[in-house]
Amino acid sequence: MTHSSTSRRVALLATAALVGTAFAAAPVAAQGDPNVCDGVIDGPVELTMMVHTGTNPGAEQESVDAFNAGPGAELGITLETIPLPETAFETAIRSAAASGTLADLFDMDGPTLYPFAWAGIARSIDSCVSQEKRDEFLGSIIQQGTYEGELYSLGSFESGLGLWAHKSMLEEVGARIPAGIDDAWTADEFTQILKDLEAAGHSTPLDIKWWYGAGEWRPYGFAPMIQSAGGDIIDRNTWDSADGVLNGPEAVGAFTTFQGWVNDGLVDLDALDDNNFIVGADGEANTGDEAAISWVGHWMSPAYSEALGDDLVLVPLPDFGNGSKTGMGSWNWAATSGPDGVPNSGDEADLDAVYAYIDFVTGPEEIDRFVTAFGAVPSTKTAIANSPNHMEGGSMAMYVDNLEAAHTDVSLVQAGAVPRPATPAYIFIRDEFSDLMADIVAGVDVQSRLDEAVQRIDQEIADAGYAE
Amino acid sequence: MTAAKGASKSQRVATPAPKPRFGPDTLAGWLFSAPAVLLLAAFMVLPFILAFYFSFTNERLISPRPTEWVGLDNYARVFNDPRFWKSLSNNVIFSVIVVPLQTFFALFLAILVNQKLQGVAVFRTIFFLPITVVMAAVSVIWIVLLNPDGLINAFMSIVTFGQFTPDWLSDPAVAMVAIILVSVWASVGFQMVILLAALQDVPESLYEAARLDGAGRWQQFRNVTLPGIRNPLLFVLTITTILSFRLFDQVWIMPARPGGPLDSTRTIMVELVDTGLNKGIVGRGSAIAVIFLVIVLVIALIQRRLIKQEGEVR
Repeated sequence: MTHSSTSRRVALLATAALVGTAFAAAPVAAQGDPNVCDGVIDGPVELTMMVHTGTNPGAEQESVDAFNAGPGAELGITLETIPLPETAFETAIRSAAASGTLADLFDMDGPTLYPFAWAGIARSIDSCVSQEKRDEFLGSIIQQGTYEGELYSLGSFESGLGLWAHKSMLEEVGARIPAGIDDAWTADEFTQILKDLEAAGHSTPLDIKWWYGAGEWRPYGFAPMIQSAGGDIIDRNTWDSADGVLNGPEAVGAFTTFQGWVNDGLVDLDALDDNNFIVGADGEANTGDEAAISWVGHWMSPAYSEALGDDLVLVPLPDFGNGSKTGMGSWNWAATSGPDGVPNSGDEADLDAVYAYIDFVTGPEEIDRFVTAFGAVPSTKTAIANSPNHMEGGSMAMYVDNLEAAHTDVSLVQAGAVPRPATPAYIFIRDEFSDLMADIVAGVDVQSRLDEAVQRIDQEIADAGYAE
Repeated sequence: MTAAKGASKSQRVATPAPKPRFGPDTLAGWLFSAPAVLLLAAFMVLPFILAFYFSFTNERLISPRPTEWVGLDNYARVFNDPRFWKSLSNNVIFSVIVVPLQTFFALFLAILVNQKLQGVAVFRTIFFLPITVVMAAVSVIWIVLLNPDGLINAFMSIVTFGQFTPDWLSDPAVAMVAIILVSVWASVGFQMVILLAALQDVPESLYEAARLDGAGRWQQFRNVTLPGIRNPLLFVLTITTILSFRLFDQVWIMPARPGGPLDSTRTIMVELVDTGLNKGIVGRGSAIAVIFLVIVLVIALIQRRLIKQEGEVR
């Protein structure tokens, strides 16, 4: 290549870049490139989507049916769902990618996006989402869907944790009822309240949904406890180790407090469903044998509100020193890199068609559908403003407060929601966390168990090359 | 028949070279066995060869990295992991207790239901019933029964005057005991049926002869029954040992976490599935699979050898 031709090419590129900038919002791409949104759907498309069968599988199918009947029919897209069990969902996705049978879209619980994005199984939708659409969402949704600076997924609803309590029981023991997230019970105060409730005849007053079993619930529900103490589940500065954060004095302290509740018989570990909080062992409501406090996510709000009515109160998780924390993020939708899960291998479905559903499912009507079905926090600002429960003064406004105070940096020093770490190591950390909590409940020495977990996590990050 | 014999004889005379290995019948033979051979190759041989190969690589279920040869790294990792040794020792403890216990109970039940009584078929059915339920379902039901406030503890409370009502699945000291009891309960019927069939094969005339010789009940059992069912009994011992090493469903489903509490019920199968499938570390999972195969193979060979020697003595 001669010098003159090189400079001519540079000039050409510069012109192209200028033209591109001039078109600002409309991304420039070759017509028909299936991996970029060019605003054109290349012919009639049949799409498949792998979905988890969760607590309300009906809502997701209804949404797909609505899409097929409405915009899908107009655009020439038919979408078919492939339901997979939630408990083995990621394994099913990974296995499908390994065997070349992946669908065109999939839904996933927030943080499981990162290993999929890292491995190239998930496909960036960055070129599809307009700035206007991005601005509509809560910051936490965009944050959740972003990996290495590219947007991969969007969600219709957010989540949050809190303590649901029988107001009458709290009043009976003279417990202070916190007004908001900055007013949470301290860990010591909470321990005392649990003891008082136990002394007042409400045995095993704390319900922690232990029966949800291994998996996402434990890190989602209880990582905020160690984060509130000043610990974390991975070092968010280096991303290559959990040493010093998961086994530091802060996390050890919080878990030791938690183990103390278990040892003192304050935690209900034997419940097999939600009835322990609603009706208690005798099967009748308001007899005083119900668990007084339920440590759980927003999804119990429809059932609890219906069962307890005015006696139900929602307060933030206890403050272990650095402000009350909560988990955040929820199920969201992403595109795959075609059946083989390999980027740019030529088997990808047209991204415009794939995004057509993601755009639809994050629109106002669908958000409303999911929020009603799950009792979830809507993912857009407009939807929150229009939802009586979530607007200022509503019964679930606390969740929104938490999300508005969501942490965008790594200091984690005030109250608010903490994003689950955007690292492909998340699934491994999650399983390790789930295991170690079971061991802590079973009475293991906290410090040595956390050291062991850190050793395994660090080894896995190094082995898999997650931090490279 | 004789003609064929004659023909082959004359052929052998005519051509002293050995008969060709591939005759016209060989093709038909291969064709007939082809479906089975292909399926065996695709679902048994190939996966194992792949597992053997993967055990020397860094293969993962999903990873943007290429597969690389890592030598014996995976094996070193497995052997240096205290959890692997804990799992192996749990397997050994389970087998050492379950194999004799289950065989003894199976024989006991078989003798019990081998009597010629009215309605004995009902009891046979009852003892066999748990076999008809898959282990996963059995495990789920027993979680409820073993709940600290569940049926088992209500019973324990009565018979021990409230002194012994353990938290079966959450207390590391008793979790394995609970798993053993459930396993024996759920599968003893299978061994019972095999031994029952064996018992019915022992000729009544031998018992008559023994009684005429003045043998008591114990002597009849010792000198007629046991020798009469020796081979089925040894079969039951072998199969129970192998099945007990595959312990998985119960310890995966019943505790608050697979193999818990505190790894007290973790087995090699749990270690394998957890590593290879859940965590997606295919390389190390494959190494565990290879090690597991070697262990089971060695045990089976030792058992075979012991049985053979006994046979020679007789």
